[in-house]
Amino acid sequence: MRLTCPFCGSRGVEEFTYRGDATVRRPAAEAGDAAWVDYVYLRDNPAGLHQELWYHGVGCRSWLVVTRDTRTHLVSDVRAARAVAQAEHQAEHKEGAA
Amino acid sequence: MLQAFVSEGIKPFIDGVVTFGAGHFYISQSDKGGLVFGGDIDGYNSYAQRGNLPVIEDVCEGGMALMPRIGRVRLLRHWGGIMDMSMDGSPIIDHTPVQGLYLNAGWCYGGFKATPASGLCFAHLLARDEPHPVATAYRLDRFARGAVIDEKGMGAQPNLH
Repeated sequence: MRLTCPFCGSRGVEEFTYRGDATVRRPAAEAGDAAWVDYVYLRDNPAGLHQELWYHGVGCRSWLVVTRDTRTHLVSDVRAARAVAQAEHQAEHKEGAA
Repeated sequence: MLQAFVSEGIKPFIDGVVTFGAGHFYISQSDKGGLVFGGDIDGYNSYAQRGNLPVIEDVCEGGMALMPRIGRVRLLRHWGGIMDMSMDGSPIIDHTPVQGLYLNAGWCYGGFKATPASGLCFAHLLARDEPHPVATAYRLDRFARGAVIDEKGMGAQPNLH
């Protein structure tokens, strides 16, 4: 399996470290126990498209959000985690303004 | 995904199972003379049912660190299988919220080796509807109760175990 890092290009997967589901978000401090258990311990494990965090430790040291099919290892999208977070933040801001 | 390997048949020289904890490698020899060995998992979610080269290299490096004399033995075949990784690296033997449905899962890659003990504990649970004294901690709700069994002290991430 190879990942195409947006900064370094196509690299072997041994350059990267896996960190799991990229869609989980930290709940508010006052959210109940159930929300925190879900955040810390419970993960979906889809057979199909999975958005996940990878760290390019041997390359540019960027965190990446990779969309991969867990049945075929076909990678359909790689984006910088920073860009994903910024886009999310902007979307939230827009929603708040509206 | 966990991979296991079988080499060509050679004369007997390993008469037990050798485990190398520092590098994560285990090896035994079959009656036909083939070396049967394995090591680490991929570390990422996978249903692909096939192995990959970086892990083969990693396992073989572990083997060479432990047992350099096997370096010239040729690989015959290898196998890749899905592993049921739990968040804390320990299994779950418990009731479920569904009446009559019991769970014996999350064995990570220790399932085969633990089968005699896990079978006994699971049978005890099924027959008496109460956990075997050895397995009382392997509860499904241990995560929500903050009672995780993190034997290696690695944290609550399946790829760390």
